[in-house]
Amino acid sequence: MAKLCMGLFSGSLDKLTAAGVILSGAAADDMDVEVFVLLQGARAFIKGNENKIDNLSEASHLENEFKKALEDLNVSTWYEFFEMAKEMTNVKIYICSLAGKIWGGEKLEDFNDLTDDICGIGEYLTAAEEADIHMFI
Amino acid sequence: MTLEELINLTVNKSVDARGTACPGPLLEAKKAIGTLGSGEIMEVLSADEGTKRDIPKWANKKGHEYLGTVEESGFFKIYLKKG
Repeated sequence: MAKLCMGLFSGSLDKLTAAGVILSGAAADDMDVEVFVLLQGARAFIKGNENKIDNLSEASHLENEFKKALEDLNVSTWYEFFEMAKEMTNVKIYICSLAGKIWGGEKLEDFNDLTDDICGIGEYLTAAEEADIHMFI
Repeated sequence: MTLEELINLTVNKSVDARGTACPGPLLEAKKAIGTLGSGEIMEVLSADEGTKRDIPKWANKKGHEYLGTVEESGFFKIYLKKG
């Protein structure tokens, strides 16, 4: 089974949505997935923050148009994509411990239900080394 | 398979994914094919252009047979046989 490793640095709505779509594709393909949530990304995984994510990484002046288009197209939220992917295939989500601390999360219970564990950077690099596909978002 | 053969296929399962954009149809197809037995036929209704290439490629990779696509007005039907 193919292994996908994702470094999720971004915590913006557009890139989280892209990550969610990619995870869904990986789930349809029964891939084993490991997501390592880095610096900015960890803010989105703090418990209660999932619906507070509304900034864009690119074309930020078109935020309202972007959100409306997603809604009109009946696109799932980034959180729903992640949930779906976890239901369909083996997806593990690890928060970088430094990233968590930056946003006030130290323990596993400080993060949302998608989160499997807190990890260090060595584990991310080892996973990237062993994966068939590695992407950084 | 000819167009006529595709149209006359008896399908065991029909999935209507016309209300969703990519990756919706692929996810619907993936969920539904698990409920079928080997050799059974599934049709996926989609209005998302990307699906036309996406689902056949996925099916071949997963060991299912892509039988063909039938164009309708404003959407299309993709036929698969479970491997």
